[in-house]
Amino acid sequence: MIVLPDTSTEVAIATTTLSSAASTITFSSIPSTYTDLRIVLTGTSSSGSPFIRFNSDTGTNYSYTVLRGDGTSASSSRESTLDKIWLSFGAGPSAGNPDFFTVDVFSYAGSTNKTCLTTSSMNHNGTDEEVARNVGLWRSTSAITTITLSRNVGNFNTGTTATLYGIL
Amino acid sequence: MANTYVLIASNTLSSSAASVTFSSIPSTYTDLVLRYSIRTDFAGLNIAQARVTFNGTTSGYSRTILNGDGAAASSGRATSQANFEPEEGSPSASNTANTFGTTEIYIPNYLVSANKAYGSFAVGENNTTTPVYLSARAALWQNTSAITSITLTANTGNFVSGCAFFLYGIKKN
Amino acid sequence: MAVTKLSNSGIKTGVLKYDSMLAGNAPFDPAATWLIQRVNGTGSSGVITFSNIPQTYQHLQIRFIAKNSTTTSVADHLYLQANGLTTSTYYSHFMYGSGTAAFAGNFMTQPQVTIRDAIYRSNATYPNMFGVGIIDIHDYTNTSKLKTVRAFTGRDGNGDGVVTLSSGVYPATSAITSLTLSSATGNFTTTTSFALYGFKG
Repeated sequence: MIVLPDTSTEVAIATTTLSSAASTITFSSIPSTYTDLRIVLTGTSSSGSPFIRFNSDTGTNYSYTVLRGDGTSASSSRESTLDKIWLSFGAGPSAGNPDFFTVDVFSYAGSTNKTCLTTSSMNHNGTDEEVARNVGLWRSTSAITTITLSRNVGNFNTGTTATLYGIL
Repeated sequence: MANTYVLIASNTLSSSAASVTFSSIPSTYTDLVLRYSIRTDFAGLNIAQARVTFNGTTSGYSRTILNGDGAAASSGRATSQANFEPEEGSPSASNTANTFGTTEIYIPNYLVSANKAYGSFAVGENNTTTPVYLSARAALWQNTSAITSITLTANTGNFVSGCAFFLYGIKKN
Repeated sequence: MAVTKLSNSGIKTGVLKYDSMLAGNAPFDPAATWLIQRVNGTGSSGVITFSNIPQTYQHLQIRFIAKNSTTTSVADHLYLQANGLTTSTYYSHFMYGSGTAAFAGNFMTQPQVTIRDAIYRSNATYPNMFGVGIIDIHDYTNTSKLKTVRAFTGRDGNGDGVVTLSSGVYPATSAITSLTLSSATGNFTTTTSFALYGFKG
């Protein structure tokens, strides 16, 4: 009998590629079998800024601290007691030029508050762009079962891809 | 079930080389990840960079930069470039022997018929008190072709023996 | 008992033929990332060790969530040592956002790689809040290279926090067979976890 090695540490759980513009992308019924989660989001958008929420929580249970470069200066800022964790921090979308975000959520199924590291890659060949590294907090000890990616205004355009990975 | 994170190809230099190419990249993945360590043989301190191009194309690259040099953080940009440079400066000939910089480049949706957004994080070290660079970059390739090859070219001199380059594929389903 | 005649033509009838040994199956792509070991905090030690690290991978990655038992002040640095080397010969650099400004700096001639401000203390102001991070070491078995460490870490406490990019060097060409991660103060809580992954090359 041939025994194949275990599947890899990183496993694709779910993926969405938009066939029409949408303001929200949701991953639900997330299994609790992994240790960490990673979300990879890329595509173009009509306007506004993307953000993330967990378990459909719209309460002011989120905060973040960001390190950012906008092409001119390096800066840092923070917001607390928010109703979301932003994925971009000042740059806006650019027609025809996609943006790229990652979110790593640590111990998502555990009983601690949930901390995530995010990256923002928004380059538009010279205008309204940023590179950022961010730490976000969701003050909840509940296991994460749902992740929602949204925009404050506008839509993720057709072709936007969001993929959820589990990391053992 | 197919594995998600897979090694596509690798190249560890046994002698110096001006460039390294990953060609005939299969179209069976969703994202690509490049992990590599570099050092060049050109005289100077912390000046090594890998100039990355896709499909042999030398236009359409731009980047937004966040750098730390051991003393201050700064940001900059480069537009309409002939290549992508993830590093501000990795070890070169005047650096402490056997020091190498390491870089990771994540390229999502490399097959999509649209412009390509991607990102990188690169560091160099010198094992001395001289400043070194950390650099995070947001990048764009304004080209709608699927990526079928990636070339990394030393900005000056050659990549030395021991430089190692690894291309991974990630499947979304 | 029935008797069945096996003939050449009978065996070949209906048999699918392939030109490839894959016989119509997709090629198998072996996984490139593997969980080597996970070590959780015990509450009675500020040190976590990965020992006897297999030499069969190309790169190592550590993912962590960390808190220590110190109850005063806010946070601590995370220290990384390789192969039990404790001489003051490590160098580290960092760039971080404090929430108000961006900074860069270094730690020179230290007895460890220092990853700045990566661990929350058990201060009552920051209950159940943790530092997290991803640490990468390329080519850890290569005996012609000093080992460069690259890290992305952060902690946020709803009005407090730091996000940091770090680098460091293990100043020896020896293959890494053990890694020690320690907190600058206190003991790692039992909710602390460090996981070591190997990347094939």
